[in-house]
Amino acid sequence: MLFAAFWKRNLGFFKLAISTNLEYRLNFVIDALLQPTVTSGIEMLLWWAVFKSVGSTAVAGFTREYYLSYALWAAFMSRVTTSWMYESRMVEEIDSGTINSLLVRPLSFYEYYFSQLMGYKFITTFFSFLIPLILVLNFNLPTQFDRLPLALLLAFYYLILIHSISFLVSTMAFFLTKVSSLTTAKNLFIWVLTGELVPTDLMPPWLQNIMFNLPFPSGAFIPVGYITGRIGIDAVQRGFMNVTVSLVLVNILAAYCWKKGLKSYVGTGA
Amino acid sequence: MSLVIETSGLSRVYKSYQKKEGIWNSVQGFWNRQHVVKKALTDVNLRIESGQIIGLVGANGAGKTTLLKILSGLITPSSGEAKVLGFRPWERKSEYLKRISILLGQKNQLWWDLSPLDSYSLLARIYDLDLKKARLRVQELATLLRCDHVLETQLRRLSLGERMKMELIGALLHEPEVLFLDEPTIGLDIVAQTTIREFLQKYVENKGPTVILTSHYMDDIAKLAHQLLLISQGSIVYNGTVEQFTKKSEAKQLLTFRFTDELSSQVRIGNEFILSPGQKEYSLKVSGQQLPTLLSEITHLGALQELKIEESDFEDVIRCFLEKESRVF
Repeated sequence: MLFAAFWKRNLGFFKLAISTNLEYRLNFVIDALLQPTVTSGIEMLLWWAVFKSVGSTAVAGFTREYYLSYALWAAFMSRVTTSWMYESRMVEEIDSGTINSLLVRPLSFYEYYFSQLMGYKFITTFFSFLIPLILVLNFNLPTQFDRLPLALLLAFYYLILIHSISFLVSTMAFFLTKVSSLTTAKNLFIWVLTGELVPTDLMPPWLQNIMFNLPFPSGAFIPVGYITGRIGIDAVQRGFMNVTVSLVLVNILAAYCWKKGLKSYVGTGA
Repeated sequence: MSLVIETSGLSRVYKSYQKKEGIWNSVQGFWNRQHVVKKALTDVNLRIESGQIIGLVGANGAGKTTLLKILSGLITPSSGEAKVLGFRPWERKSEYLKRISILLGQKNQLWWDLSPLDSYSLLARIYDLDLKKARLRVQELATLLRCDHVLETQLRRLSLGERMKMELIGALLHEPEVLFLDEPTIGLDIVAQTTIREFLQKYVENKGPTVILTSHYMDDIAKLAHQLLLISQGSIVYNGTVEQFTKKSEAKQLLTFRFTDELSSQVRIGNEFILSPGQKEYSLKVSGQQLPTLLSEITHLGALQELKIEESDFEDVIRCFLEKESRVF
């Protein structure tokens, strides 16, 4: 009975995200299609330029086609595994006091935004997926489609961690008036560590060691490396493990900050 | 009647950063900030029984919204205890939140991009209500509020009055036992104010929730409230019925009189009031005690054409009370 109620309301939040995103049509088209197309295009162009300038047929044992495929899938996976838009909304809710309407209702702030994030990802991923799919098939770029489900599973599992980090960052708004610089720095840091722009295995060994012990390569490098044949199942398993450990740690810290934040909250704006 | 709200020694302190004017103070404030502590609520003790409309009145910053925020679970008190329906509000238990509702007149609580019907459907899921029953209830409330024609229009396209009615339906959808209304009629035109006031009156008669109402429109309080809580500088300074309050207070009445002929010279009446010569009509603000003496003196001054005594309105009564307490309203 309790689970049924939980499921019903979260399905409601999921649908809410779909309804509100479809409300602004131009914004949706740009967000789901134009932006990923531009990002993929820039990253492919970058690798094309790299190969042209080095005059070699392979970099670190992989041909240009591998890197073009990597760039396409990395741009796609990175879009799946980011939550900056919902993070800024969460921060804004606390900062402006609109969170008041959520605090007095029988729901949790975490689940409310998590289910909305999933709803948003559901529709945007569906459209964004068409871009790498069409290009990979059209240019016959290396992709192991049988590995795609597990890679996507890891990406979505990592998304839960990203949402938890966003939740943790948003609790900072209880204590600090502005947290936008913090979120920008955090997003930049995570973006570099995911390996979207440069595959993690091209980094110096000492840096690779650090990065592979962090959960962030599960946001781009591991799932993309797996479907492009760059890495094997053991890296994926390690990715799942790192994300799990981080999820536990981040959520413990976030729960503590949330509790402390609510204690100091002044009900802004009401 | 059972006890619904009980507080003892409830206090809340706010700490805020104070910055002096000028660029140098901005630079200095970067590492050395001066904080001020403000007591928003001090030792509030309350006992409120079920089925009552409680009018919570006070000046801006008197502490009424802070009290509402604590009782609805939005904020935690600095000290003291409160129980609403047997729960500590700030623990925000689902069982508690399902039994209360708060309406903040200056904030939207429904979803901006959705139509009210979509919002209510989402609220029904949040409160785990039967969807069919919730729809019927929306229809019933919308009919009472005369706003069923806008249920399918997006919230952001509605007027302030329509939006407030929609918010009210949203707040009542799960039939809360305790309803906190913070300025529900603020900024509304007179027609919308009256509709909402009449609606609330009928609703409380039929469903019997306990309502804590704050409003700057004293008409709301005078017409709706069974009990009046007057709050000033964080403390409750009056707790009783509106009628008793009006009787007890020393609010002035407006005495207006017109002579057939102008007064030829200056006259002093009631030891306090001076009537200037060359006028026919005078208006004086007088207390109930002064009235008999003044009437007697006025009737001896000349032939009266008109005499009118106007009771001071509730707003004046409250202002007088707070002025007497040396507090600014």
